[in-house]
Amino acid sequence: MSERDVAGLLFTAEMYGVQLDQLAVWLAVSEARARALAARWREQGYAESARLGPGRPWVWLTGAGLVACGLPYRPVPPALARLAHLRAVTAVRIALESAPGYTAAEAYWRSERRMRARMGSRVPLREHLPDGEVHWPDPGEAPGPDAGEGAEGRAAVAPAWAGECWAIEAELTRKTVRRTAAIMTEILTRTGDYGCPAAEVQVPGRPPRHARVLYLCSAAARPTVRRARDALPGGLAVRVEIRGLPAGAGLADGLTAAARPARDSQAAT
Amino acid sequence: MIRRYPWLLMLRALTRMLWWLLRVAVFVAALVVAAPVVLVAAYAAALAWFLGWPPRQLYRAAVWCLPMLAAWLAAMAADGRPWPRLASAPYLAWLAMWHEAAAGGYLKAAVTVAPLAIPLGLVAGGLAWSWRIYSMETGSGGLAPSAPAAFDQRQWRHQVRTARGRIAAPGSVPLLLRDGSVVAGATIRAVRHPARPLAVMPYPRLRSHQVVLGTTGTGKTTLLLRLWAGFMSRGMELHAAGQRPRPLLVVLDCKGGADSRRIADRARRVLRGAGAASTAIWPDEASLSLWALPPPQLVSTLADMVESGTGGAAYYADVLEEIVRLAVEAPCGPPAGAADFLSRLDANWLALAYAGTPDGGSSGLLRSSARHISDVALRYRSLLRRLGGGLDGPGGFGDADAWYCILEGTSEIAVAEAQARALVDLLTWYAAGGAGDGMADGSPGSTGGRRDILLAVDEFSAVSRRLPIWQLYERARSLGLAVQVSAQSWPGLAADEDERYRVATTADGGIWLLRTPHPEPVAALAGSRRVVDTARRLLGVPLWVSKGWAHEGLSRAEGTPVVDPEIIRGLDVGQAAYIYRGGVTYVQVKRLVAGPAELASPVAGPAAGPTAGAAAGTPAGAGASTPAADPGAARPAGVSALLDEAFGEEP
Repeated sequence: MSERDVAGLLFTAEMYGVQLDQLAVWLAVSEARARALAARWREQGYAESARLGPGRPWVWLTGAGLVACGLPYRPVPPALARLAHLRAVTAVRIALESAPGYTAAEAYWRSERRMRARMGSRVPLREHLPDGEVHWPDPGEAPGPDAGEGAEGRAAVAPAWAGECWAIEAELTRKTVRRTAAIMTEILTRTGDYGCPAAEVQVPGRPPRHARVLYLCSAAARPTVRRARDALPGGLAVRVEIRGLPAGAGLADGLTAAARPARDSQAAT
Repeated sequence: MIRRYPWLLMLRALTRMLWWLLRVAVFVAALVVAAPVVLVAAYAAALAWFLGWPPRQLYRAAVWCLPMLAAWLAAMAADGRPWPRLASAPYLAWLAMWHEAAAGGYLKAAVTVAPLAIPLGLVAGGLAWSWRIYSMETGSGGLAPSAPAAFDQRQWRHQVRTARGRIAAPGSVPLLLRDGSVVAGATIRAVRHPARPLAVMPYPRLRSHQVVLGTTGTGKTTLLLRLWAGFMSRGMELHAAGQRPRPLLVVLDCKGGADSRRIADRARRVLRGAGAASTAIWPDEASLSLWALPPPQLVSTLADMVESGTGGAAYYADVLEEIVRLAVEAPCGPPAGAADFLSRLDANWLALAYAGTPDGGSSGLLRSSARHISDVALRYRSLLRRLGGGLDGPGGFGDADAWYCILEGTSEIAVAEAQARALVDLLTWYAAGGAGDGMADGSPGSTGGRRDILLAVDEFSAVSRRLPIWQLYERARSLGLAVQVSAQSWPGLAADEDERYRVATTADGGIWLLRTPHPEPVAALAGSRRVVDTARRLLGVPLWVSKGWAHEGLSRAEGTPVVDPEIIRGLDVGQAAYIYRGGVTYVQVKRLVAGPAELASPVAGPAAGPTAGAAAGTPAGAGASTPAADPGAARPAGVSALLDEAFGEEP
């Protein structure tokens, strides 16, 4: 099993399931090559694939695949009702990871599935989980004696927002302004990690967990999100970033390898 | 008669055997009759052995079962039984249990008798476990001579495992308890201290002097960070309730280098989580003004910062101090900064400054010391250059809730000593109510007389030669200043043995001892306790010859150290012994997880230079660490660029 296989399996597991075109883009290979990889995973019992909806076939990991990856997730195929959302989130991740600033800062995407697994059965009914978190490594860590040249380099390219944690939200459909504003407030005022004791979820006086929340909206959802942001107090509103969904985020959209730069090094990790 | 003697012997042996069998039968019958209680007791005792619990834990569990017992009795009373008949309820329940068991309803039988059997069993298990510990401690238990020592070592391992499990459980070790006590971690073992699951320390003890000893890599920094966070968190709570002044933490990290800066960053994040609105890192991000000291104090501090020696050199020290006094107490007022001070160390300047004064003594002094002025100027020029701009202001301790001062004690010992001296003088002046132009509400910027101050001196050995901390100890109480000294070893605590003992014995907030190769002096400070030591006669090999310890022996009370130096030498990373008032609690320290780095600010950080924050009247670090009321205002411009690149511009 090559490094590319491992990276692809982990990526697929983290995102619940991915479509072949997105997998091909993420692995920086052709779609035919991605199809061959998925077929091999299926032969090995690590993955399943099927045409669940419009567009390319979906790939998801079986129980054996998740065990092989060491991930404590429930082996279920992507829910039909969530296919569009899953594709949109994956497209957001791919677009963000293709930004040179992301790679240079060695940022880390923490998926919703990982957060949900950490919470286990303790997800409160009204608690909202973001679609992902992006952690920007802290440059404050001085390189140790055996850190080598890489550590110095990292400190040199650390962005001004290093050390922050961002929440990511992909919005395809319109909610009410009130509900959207409530979600924004919840995310921006949360102080504890997901899965922390209830008493630590929002502790007055503690710094917020998310320095900002990034909304990637479809054209339909954008006005609502914008109005919800405007309804927030000034201190919170300025921490909400709104952008459009990247190309290829729609369920029937195709995604080509040209949509993002090659990321061999990232795939290797 | 002689023929009957063997029969008599046999009869006696038979009688003894029958008596023994009768006793065994009665004992077994009692066990069977009280089977539910016996089962619970056995389980409780085994659990206590496995987890290294003290018997008190079982007694406490039994007490917690009392509501169940009360509810059971209340349910029966509600069932219509008169109160007098409730007295027979335990017997009836026991009888019902046997009937149910005989009918094969084991679960129902267990449920029937559980309200009674569980508390009784827990008490019985606690008593049995207590007797076992007692017999092992006194040396009267066990099959082999080495049994008590093996038992103690095994129990230590069990207690460590339990304490580690406790600190690993999320939310089980909070920083503060409801009563405001600071939690250091999970208790491994307590000797002459209350045996609680958590090692707690009342806040006033953090407001007293403490000593922390431990070699590198034993978890000293983790412990210190927890103590500092506890001090800050509880201090802020009391301040918010209007009961105490706002807390102020000042850390002198006398090691320096990149390691200290990494710890400073971690401390800032931990303290921010504990409620500190601002943490200033000196001298990298914030500065203090030595020149804010009142002139007489400034003269003393400046004179002490220069090493003068003893003997014949004392004459030169007196001359130096007089010249400094002339420069500082000149009629035109004290110097405003280092450059101003250095410009005054000039014979012509001083002559002009004192030309119009009627005081002839100053003029005479000037004439006699004129030839030394250039030498003194040279020394101070060199010293102030090496000190850097960290003491040249502006800024004061009132500008932040926490100050992390990095002294380069490893690479520049003389400089670190001078810096430590200056910082401590500044702090004591501040604690005594200096900087009187500040606000009186205890907020940052307020006067020192209205702050609860903790001065923590880490790696004290680097500056101990020139910083007589015990003098500060004695003055500190009246100033509302607590001092916490940490060193890697007993010799590193002070320059000589007398001073070491002076520092250790005045630590009325307790001594934290981590792994160190020579713990005996500190362990001896905890004193000894009286234990019963039993010597027994050995009769052959235990078990194999059905002989072992005889029931004959000698017990005597003798003193044994409260703190076992061997345990201290064997402490693992993250384990500490807290010595206080003749007792010791061994603690598995819970590591505080620092929050994320503060939101970046365009003006904050080392890149802004040490004077960036000062220009605004606050330390740069303070601004950087304050949880922004409007974090978006500090949004780095690059975020938009990154998002535009990834997703296009905001539609």
